[in-house]
Amino acid sequence: MKNIRTVALRTAALGAIVIALAACGSNNNKTANNANKPASAAATQAAPATAASATRAATPAAATTSAAAASAAAATPSGPAKTVKIGAAFSLTGAAAQYGATQKNGAQLAVDEINASNYVPGVKIDLIVDDDASAKDQAINVFQQFINSDKVAAILGPTLSNSALAADPIAQQAKVPVLGVSNTGEGITTIGDYIFRDSLAEADVVPQTVQVSLQKLNYKTAAVMYANDDAFSKAGYNAFKGALDKNNVKIVDTETFSTNDKDFSAQLTNVKNAKPDVIVVSALLDPAVGIATQARKLGLTQPIIGGNGFNSPAFIKNAGDAAEGVIVGAAWNSASDNPLSKKFIQAYQAKYGSPPDQFAAQAYTGVYILAEAMKLANSTDREGIRSGLLKIKDFPTVLGTFNFTPGRDAQHQAVIQIVKNGQFVPLQ
Amino acid sequence: MLGALHAFYTQHSALIQVGGINAILAISLYFTLATGLLSLANAAFMGIGAYTGALLTMRAHWPFPLVVLAGGVLAATTAVPLGLPVLRLRGVFLAIATIGFGEVVRIFFINWSYAGGALGIDGVPRKTTWWHIYLALVLLLFICWRLRRSRAGYAMEAIRQDEAASATMGINVTAYKVAVFVAGAFIAGIAGSLQAHLRYIVDPNDYGFSTAVDILVYAVVGGMNVFIGPVIGAALITALPDILRQFTSLGVQPGPDRALASGIVLLLVILFLPEGLVSIARFRPWRRRQTTAIATQRARAGP
Amino acid sequence: MAQQIVNGIFAGSIYALFAVGYTLVFGILDILNLAHQAVFMMAAFAALQAVLKWKWNFGPALLFATAIAGVLGILIYYIAYRPLRRRPDTYFSTLISTIAFAAILEALALRWYGARTSRFPLNTFPDHTFHIGSAAFTLLQAVIVAGALVLTLGLQALVRYTRLGKAMRAVAENERAARVLGIDVERVVLVSFAISSALGGIAGVMYGLVYNSVAPGMGHAVELKGLSVIVLGGMGSIPGAVLGGFLLGLVEVASVAQLGSNTRDAVAFIVLFAILLLRPRGLFGRRLVREV
Repeated sequence: MKNIRTVALRTAALGAIVIALAACGSNNNKTANNANKPASAAATQAAPATAASATRAATPAAATTSAAAASAAAATPSGPAKTVKIGAAFSLTGAAAQYGATQKNGAQLAVDEINASNYVPGVKIDLIVDDDASAKDQAINVFQQFINSDKVAAILGPTLSNSALAADPIAQQAKVPVLGVSNTGEGITTIGDYIFRDSLAEADVVPQTVQVSLQKLNYKTAAVMYANDDAFSKAGYNAFKGALDKNNVKIVDTETFSTNDKDFSAQLTNVKNAKPDVIVVSALLDPAVGIATQARKLGLTQPIIGGNGFNSPAFIKNAGDAAEGVIVGAAWNSASDNPLSKKFIQAYQAKYGSPPDQFAAQAYTGVYILAEAMKLANSTDREGIRSGLLKIKDFPTVLGTFNFTPGRDAQHQAVIQIVKNGQFVPLQ
Repeated sequence: MLGALHAFYTQHSALIQVGGINAILAISLYFTLATGLLSLANAAFMGIGAYTGALLTMRAHWPFPLVVLAGGVLAATTAVPLGLPVLRLRGVFLAIATIGFGEVVRIFFINWSYAGGALGIDGVPRKTTWWHIYLALVLLLFICWRLRRSRAGYAMEAIRQDEAASATMGINVTAYKVAVFVAGAFIAGIAGSLQAHLRYIVDPNDYGFSTAVDILVYAVVGGMNVFIGPVIGAALITALPDILRQFTSLGVQPGPDRALASGIVLLLVILFLPEGLVSIARFRPWRRRQTTAIATQRARAGP
Repeated sequence: MAQQIVNGIFAGSIYALFAVGYTLVFGILDILNLAHQAVFMMAAFAALQAVLKWKWNFGPALLFATAIAGVLGILIYYIAYRPLRRRPDTYFSTLISTIAFAAILEALALRWYGARTSRFPLNTFPDHTFHIGSAAFTLLQAVIVAGALVLTLGLQALVRYTRLGKAMRAVAENERAARVLGIDVERVVLVSFAISSALGGIAGVMYGLVYNSVAPGMGHAVELKGLSVIVLGGMGSIPGAVLGGFLLGLVEVASVAQLGSNTRDAVAFIVLFAILLLRPRGLFGRRLVREV
């Protein structure tokens, strides 16, 4: 018995240390940028510190945790230079890390511009970026930290649709507005009326892709390939299938693969034997490059029509000659002659030394949308931002003239492009 | 006081709940490890429990406690036909076979369109609360505690030490192995069902090899010789990203740095604290003579 | 049909090259080195670094990457294996230590190169396509298949005919006896790790080149397939790993062609399962030495 007691005591001590570390840890600064910013009290003084638990009654602000209270004593400046905290949950590690990286860049660029130009008069945005590790648990955790510890006014992200399905409900319950900047899956904005997104879903882009390409190429049969273990690719497939069926195009072969597959020779050989007029592919960037390259090597000459995964300068760079003639429907076109888009590309290239992709563009736009919402509602708290978002109408952005649908989804013109001479050009 | 506790919980509820579930998973592995079996199938069993739970709740509207149990039962049922042939493989082969099983299950779920295929099931109503999780955990810990001094517990230990000798001493080795395998599956299934009703979504990719490795890491880091070890390991690893967040000002950025820190922690633990972190609690970390030490420990009646 | 066979052989050659290193270490030491896939990945990055940043030609870059892989193998030996030798449950603790080592390597790769998939410049390897009947394949693919065969034959020769090889087989058979006989066991083990990792590194560079895709997570897909291959071929058997690799490649391609692409990944594990249950020792199941 004595042994057990000692062990139990020491274990409890160990456990207490672990918990204390975790508790203290979460209240410190998130990114190196924050080192000098004053405490959060200023940002959300209007909104009560809503407890994320299921209690509904207005929780008095005094319920802030004892650890957080340490820094809450800062005086609320009533004059100029209010700071509003925005949380950004991006995948900086894990499967979606390559998208998270450019999202972070795009968002940061927008924040810097907005702060420098005083876009929202008297308000500075403090962007807190944290890693959701491409995992649901981490997304949930990050959201909780943002909502309860950092007390952000709004959240951008998370990167993956699946993570959004897991984490957004928490923000909805806590009445914190969320703006998805890369979620294209189904069932996201239906989570609740605090969930918005500026990323055009495949279901909206694909029908336009099919129609425009049909006009140009007039094909009767198609082979369809898609990644069956990825929500985005699958949603794209559903959209393509629906659009092709509707336009009376016969699907002569359907092939699936895993997003992480590198070898598509078996599937492509099947496609070759089916002799379709065009090959339709719904996949993320890596398999997209692989499929295009290997198809050409195997002697497939049919035009390839791709979903959003193909929409990146990296696709052209890496597929080389194989990219020529590929048709891509997308939410954002790097060759767009939208002046805002051109400025954005220049600024991004100057700051980061590489061209932006769609994820960067959507993240960048997301920050501007939030800022515009603050302006329209003349408020920087959670409720204010939400009502501001609802007021957004015909807002000129890098993505085009932007509106929210009644369902809080993105609405703007999609662009159908074709690769010509190593560049994306609009497909007339 | 109560207010502060409540506020603490609210801020960290994700951590507390997920940590609890991970602890349950770690215990599910403990049963098999304590019998000397390295099974990496528990992530798949968790998946079976999760899908069962989600489908029963959403399509058949069963009451929640029943749903959770059903998750465990279905996982356990799958474990029997799997276990019988697989458990006669030795050591690393058993591990590989269970890895294979896990991957087959994951691929099955990805292709099962009734359950959403690769998209999984979303919109699972949130029914799990912290006390569900901790009730289950406490119950399990109690069972483990009682098990230690029981005949079954000693038998498991004996099998772990030396299978052949145990068989000669009259212990029904196969029965025990299957039993702990099924028990582990049952517990993992329950954890899966609880988790499905916590996260709103069931995603087939969450039940594959990397999750199985995660669970193994909880058990190893915490310590596998004492039943409380896996729980400690689960708690620490779950809390690790938040602990590391404290060091952001020192330059440990979110992302690769944290991943690096996790890897280093794991390596240090396995090299220097082979008995897991629990050994710190007992102030015996720097073991060199593993063989003798473990043998003496076994001889003693204590934990 | 012919094309599918070519596809299968080619996919199989990479599996074979990867698996040979795996099985070598297992055969001698009875441990599974799960850091092998991380070395696979690091070597690809090393070659990439040489070609992209330092503008080397492919040949020297490959040699460089192989050397790096060998060094990593030595590191694995010193850090993840040697300290654990005395433990009774070595296979288990080395499983964990190699997992940890792999995680560290991946995190480093993530830090240095980012998460984006990196690619070799398109002219790194001359581009020729050949035809046999209706089947098409590239020069690179042919080189890889040939290279895989040559390397594994070379390894087999090493094991069978050289003194080092004999020492390896002795250690595999009975470590204590080998030590008593005056064999420097530590050195043999060290060299084994180095060779195993070097082969894995070559596999990584080839893989990265032919699929033109190098990313910190690239080892994971091959890691599990590699397990299937060595079980299929027989743990510890080099010819088994090679044959197993080609077989798996062919079977995978056949299943995609006949049953649909959903089945591709499942096939590898179903095969794994079947072998473990029906004939656990695999095709050529024996250690590097004949079992008495």
